[in-house]
This record gives sequence, structure tokens and C-alpha cells, in this order.
Amino acid sequence: MKASFSSGILLLLLASLPAVAKEIRATVVYDDVATEINPAPSEDASDQLWITTAELTRATRFEIKPQGVCRDELCFPLPKARMQEFLRRRAPLTWFNLTAFAALVHQPVAHDAATFTWYFGLRSDQQQALASRRAPDFTLPDMEGKLHSLADFRGKKVFLITWASW
Amino acid sequence: MDLPGWQAIYQQLKDKNFEIVSVAEDTGGVKDAGKAITDAKPAYTVLIDQEHLVAKLYNMVNVPTGVWINEQGRIVRPNEVAFVDDRFRNLTGLDSAPYLNALKDWAEKGDKSAYIMSEDRLQAKLRPPDADAGQAAAEFGLGEQLYKAGHLAEAIPHFKEAQRLNPKSWNYKRQAYKLSSESDYGTTFVQEVQKAGGGKVYYVPPELPQAAEPQEKKP
Repeated sequence: MKASFSSGILLLLLASLPAVAKEIRATVVYDDVATEINPAPSEDASDQLWITTAELTRATRFEIKPQGVCRDELCFPLPKARMQEFLRRRAPLTWFNLTAFAALVHQPVAHDAATFTWYFGLRSDQQQALASRRAPDFTLPDMEGKLHSLADFRGKKVFLITWASW
Repeated sequence: MDLPGWQAIYQQLKDKNFEIVSVAEDTGGVKDAGKAITDAKPAYTVLIDQEHLVAKLYNMVNVPTGVWINEQGRIVRPNEVAFVDDRFRNLTGLDSAPYLNALKDWAEKGDKSAYIMSEDRLQAKLRPPDADAGQAAAEFGLGEQLYKAGHLAEAIPHFKEAQRLNPKSWNYKRQAYKLSSESDYGTTFVQEVQKAGGGKVYYVPPELPQAAEPQEKKP
């Protein structure tokens, strides 16, 4: 039995979303990449961000799969009993609560109400990475725009050193 | 600037399977960091980090911050001030020589160097950020995003919130001042340093083992 989408719950969920979605533009910043999206007009609380599953993938590369919310090798199962906190169906769209998901994966979120901008920080799996002593990888451009990854230097001793113009 | 100094170190050490990866923590990107790179023409890799990603991933709170990463991609000395010369000695009370000697020792001996940090110290120093520091990073990231989108006035409250949540981060203060001005924050860098206890505590000195200080050979 699938507890998450029994018809009773589904009806309830349908009623909870407005019939006509007002056009709102919001900016989601995920992995420091900004994506413009059309979120669902927020009913319950303005600190919740509901986006379509298609926009979830466009903005974060995460996808809803039977086993959870997944990207590449990474998968976060959604708690079955709390499915309605994360997913709501309103044909033809399914909406996903990106802020509830952030709370689930212990990801800090910063929000600017005036500009409808949402910034998603490092998830706890990314924050824990340091404790393994493995140097977190990154890919950044040089002055000419050519990308370099820390991992390109594997096999050598690397002295990582920061500086700034300020 | 630090870039020419590291070029001299790189010349000495580059044949020891040793690389320097230098990262500019500059929201303004090439516009702000470019000139120093063009002037120094370093032979090592210099990257531009507009989102302060490296500071975020490694929990860095100031520049210059050095990290040693071994051949297997493991951190063997994390996050400490790494001066290439003594330009700031009057302010900080720190000599660059002990750290640079340690770095040369590591380039030479790798994991056998006495300057590799002990497992216990590594564990202690590589703890993930607490909830406030994590939230501060998100507020700072939001501020940067708003700044880049042309919303400086909206960015400032988020930079302030980042500074409040993680008062240890000088990056959050100084980068934000650079993007507008200290007056937007009702303070100055000098005042902030004094508030923190002065130049001598502005940087935490590197933890270099006393016993492993290079000794002059006695007959």
C-alpha cells in the first residue's frame, strides 16, 4: 500500500492549492547557480517554497524517484508518513517543497522576501565531508575562464592558499 | 600582494611533486582580482572564486588561509594563516619564516614531514560548522547573489546577518565592505580588529610543533 498518494489525501492536497496560479517569479540559488522559476503561490506560510518537480530538476538537478530525491549517486528518501509535507499533486503538475526538503537534509536556507530570492547552502552531507579528511573538490575558473578542479592535481602535494583584493 | 612571494616559493619547490593552487576570494571576480594576477604572472594555478566556494567548503574565515593536501587528496594541515612574507608582522606579531620552513619540509618529505598534523588535531580542526556558521554562509551567499543581480541595498542586510551569525569570519566583513563601504555597516575594519582584541589576535598563529622546528646541526 502506498500511503503517500491515497485518493483521500490527494483530494485534500488538491483543495489546498489555489485554482489559478498567479504568476510569481522567484530566483532559486542552488550550488551557487541561480535559476528563475515560477513557484506555487504560497498558502500556508511565506517561508515555504513549492516548485514543480520539473523546475526542481532544472534548478537543482535532483529528481523525484521511487527511492527518494536523487541526483547522480546521491539519494535522500522522503519519510513515508510525512509525504504530503514534500509532494503535492495537482494535475498535470506535481509540486515539491524545496524548503521542507532543505530542513530534511539539514541545509541552511536564506531568503530575501523583497526580491523572491532563495539561497540554499551546503547540505549536511557536504558539511560533513571535511571530517573525512578528504579535501573537498571544487572547480573554478582561472583569469582566462579556463576551469580547473582540485582533483586535477591528485598525485601531487597541493598547497591550497587563499587571498583577496580586499 | 602575496602572488609574487608564492611564485618564488613555487620556483624552489615545484620539482618536488608540489603544486600551488591559489584562490582569490573575490565576489567582484576578475574586475577586482585580475590586476594582481596580471602583474605577478604566476606560473602556478590561480583561480577566481566569486562565490567564496573554497571558504565555504573548508570553513575558512580569513585570508590568507593555507591548507596542505597530500598526493591522495587528503588534508594533512588545515586552515591556518599562511604569510608569504613579513609585511604584516607589525600588525600581527607573526613571522612568516617558521611556516614557510614547515611548508618546504613537507614539500621535501611529504607525509613523513614532522609538520603533518596529528590525527587528533585534524579531527578537532575539521569539525563541520555549527548551525549558526552554516546559516551565516547561506546569508552571505544570498547577499552575494543579490549584489550580482544589482540589488546592493537588499544584499546589505544579508551580509550583516552573516556577520552577526559568524562573527569570526573576516571574509564576511571585509568582502562586504569592499562591495559598498564600511559606512553601510556602521563600522570600520580597524574598529572591528580592535573590538576583536587587536592585531595580535586577528590571526590565530599556526600550530607548529616546537620539537620539529628545524635545528641547526650541532657537531
